[in-house]
Formats: sequence, structure tokens, C-alpha cells
Amino acid sequence: MNITCNDRERVLLEGSPEEWGALEQHAGTCAVCTEELRAWKQLSAAAIEMRDYQESPALWTRIETSLRQQQAAPVPRAAVWNSFDFWRHAGMVWQSALAGGMVVALAVSSGYLYTHRAVQPTVQGSQLLKTSALAEVERTEREYMAAIDKLAADARPQLNTDTPLMASYREKILVLDSAIADLRAQAGENPSNAHLRKQLLAMYQEKQQTLQDVLETKR
Amino acid sequence: MGTVGLALPWEHKLSPVAREGEQRVEPFEGQTEPVRTGEELPQDAAIAAACLSGNLQGYERLYQWQGTRMKNLARNLLGSQSDAEDAVQETFLKIQRSISGFRGQSSFVTWTFRILVNTCHDLRRSRLRRKDRANEDVDALPPRMELRATGSHPSLRMALERALAKITAHQRDVFLLYEVEGFRHAEIAGMLEISETASKNTLFQAKKNLRTMLEPPRSSATGGAQ
Repeated sequence: MNITCNDRERVLLEGSPEEWGALEQHAGTCAVCTEELRAWKQLSAAAIEMRDYQESPALWTRIETSLRQQQAAPVPRAAVWNSFDFWRHAGMVWQSALAGGMVVALAVSSGYLYTHRAVQPTVQGSQLLKTSALAEVERTEREYMAAIDKLAADARPQLNTDTPLMASYREKILVLDSAIADLRAQAGENPSNAHLRKQLLAMYQEKQQTLQDVLETKR
Repeated sequence: MGTVGLALPWEHKLSPVAREGEQRVEPFEGQTEPVRTGEELPQDAAIAAACLSGNLQGYERLYQWQGTRMKNLARNLLGSQSDAEDAVQETFLKIQRSISGFRGQSSFVTWTFRILVNTCHDLRRSRLRRKDRANEDVDALPPRMELRATGSHPSLRMALERALAKITAHQRDVFLLYEVEGFRHAEIAGMLEISETASKNTLFQAKKNLRTMLEPPRSSATGGAQ
């Protein structure tokens, strides 16, 4: 067997007895390998110096006492875990089969719960919430409109007076009514659009404020 | 002498004791290794069975068989005799607590030493925590060896102990188990839950590092030549 310096580390790592012999032979003619081999072996030899197999006379007595104490002490919750002791004695095939069965059962029950409980309540809940909220908004809007109509009725005699100021208020109220009509038409097509509802509310508030200003001029 | 710092006094003559039961590939000179033959297997199984049955005599036989070896490994891992004895005691208690979980997939001794190594690491961590070294990586800290008077070449041992304190904990574990306690790579693999190849590679790296740390300075070794 031909061994060179390049093989040295590989032989030191996991060389066969034959390779070690060949390395020793090569080291006979190579100073570097001789030194490396000598150091390597000396390290193993030095390790033996770390062996100190002296007896400790009292140690076994100490260990035995603690073992007896532990043996006599009740093991907490042992009864619960003992009920699973069959698992340890079951073969690998049975353990795998049981684990697989548990996974399948878990998957089936999770699927059942997902399809029967998770979806429907969410959909129903969101529909109810939307419908009730929208109905509340529309009901409040109707009441608000009725109140503004009543306010307009009160302000109409004042508005009909032939003064430049009242002509200006009439024109403003016409513009507001037109805007309100447009927004209501858009809100009718898209009742859930919160932005349209906000604009509509702003128009109503503006009309209310205008009518209040008209009534103020009467005083 | 030609040795400075961690340099190992290579010129010490080691006592040439014949090795019995040599099982390793690597040829050694003048070393002893714990004898391991096929006769150990029945003993291993018998002790495991006795322990499994709750018989304290089983534990006593285990102690008589492996107690000093366990204590020596614990001492080299922890650095003190009292900590080593605590570790061995705790290991026996853990064996008693978990003996029902021993499946026989490795030898009982391998299983025992796996528990011992883990116990030593746990003890070292808790000991260092008590010393308020929370900011340091406790696993990386080497054991601080206390003085001991035994051994025919104390300076040789001390130099190696100091060098071992500078390599990684994993390399130290493998080196001590293989070179000092004489376990095979297959056994070490079982103890440290690594592959046999990883054990070989770790030992190789450990020895390379130790070799670098312990070699005499080039200048003195070669008479000043570079």
C-alpha cells in the first residue's frame, strides 16, 4: 500500500490498520510525518494521565441511601402516566398505526367542525349586522328628513317674502334640495356606501342650518 | 525543556504498560485501555434487568463495575471531586427514575453514560448560574480543574487539562470519552446522540486543536530555525 504525506490526515481520521501500518512505514522516511505521528500518539498517551480510578469509599453508601429514599417516596402522578404504559410495550407498527388513527380522527373531526360550525354563523352574523345597521340609518334619516320638512314649513312664509336676502336663501335651498335628491338617488343604488351617507348627512345639516338662519331673520 | 505555556513536555517518558484487548485502529504506544470483550454484554444485560426489577443490588453492581470510571469522567468534565460525586449520585437517581424507559437499543452502560454526561452539563450550568455568570455562554466555559496529586506525570496531565479547557465542550466530551475512558466511536455516538462519523470528526478536530496548543514553540524546538 502506497501512503504519502497527502494521505496523513485521512489516515489519522479514519485509517484502517493496514493504512496505519503503511503510514508508519512512510514515516520512516519522512521527517514531517514522523513528527506528526509521534505528537498524535503522545496526545493519546497523555490522555491516560487523566485517568484516576480511585475508589471513594463513602460514595456508594451515599448513593444507596438516596436510592432507597427515592424508591420509598411516592411518585407524583404516577397513576395517570401508568395508564399510558401500554404505549411503551406496544410494537413500532402498533404505535405508528395508533398515531396514524389519531391523526385521521383529528382531521375528520376538525373538518366536520369547520364545515358545520365555522362558516354559517359568520355569514348570518354579518348579514344581520349589515341589515340592522342599514335599517337603523335609514330610519334615522327619515325622521331627520321629517324634522327638516317641518322646519321648512315653519320657514316658508318668511322665505316667500320678496327680499334679496330671502331670494338668496331660496336659491341656496333649491341647490341643497337638488344635491340631496342626487345623493339619495346614488345612496338608493348603493345603500351600504358610508361615504354617500356622510355627504347626505352634511347636506341635510346645511339645509337645517339655512332654514334656522331664515327663521332667525324673522325675529 | 523547550516547552513554554501550554507546551506539553513531550520528553516525559510514559510508563510502558501493555494494552489488553486492543480494539482500536489507531496504534498506541504504552497505554492501557479498559478491557472490553464480548463477556461484558451478558453482564450489561443482567445489571439492566436487575435495575429494571427495582433491585438495589443491580445498582450496586453497576457502581462496582463502572463507578470509578463514571466518577473520573465527571471529574474531568466538572473539574472537582465533590461535583463529580454529586453528578454520579444524581445519575444513579435519574437511572432509577427512568429505568422503565430503557429500551435496550444501546447497551446499559452507554445509556448510563449518556445520562451522566447530560447530568454533568446540567450541574455545570446550574453551578455557573449560581455564580451570577448569566451574561456568559455557560456551555462554552471550560471546567476549572482542581489540583490532584495522583498520576506519574502531573505536569503532563496539567498541560493537557489546560489545553482541554480551551477547546469546545463537544470536542472535550468526545476526547475524554474516547481517549481517557476508552469508549469506541459507536458507543460515544450513542451517548452524545451523534453519528459515528461525527464522533470521529470531532475527535480528529479536538486532537488537531490540542496538538496545536501543546506543541513546543518552533523556535525552541528547532533551535531557532524557522
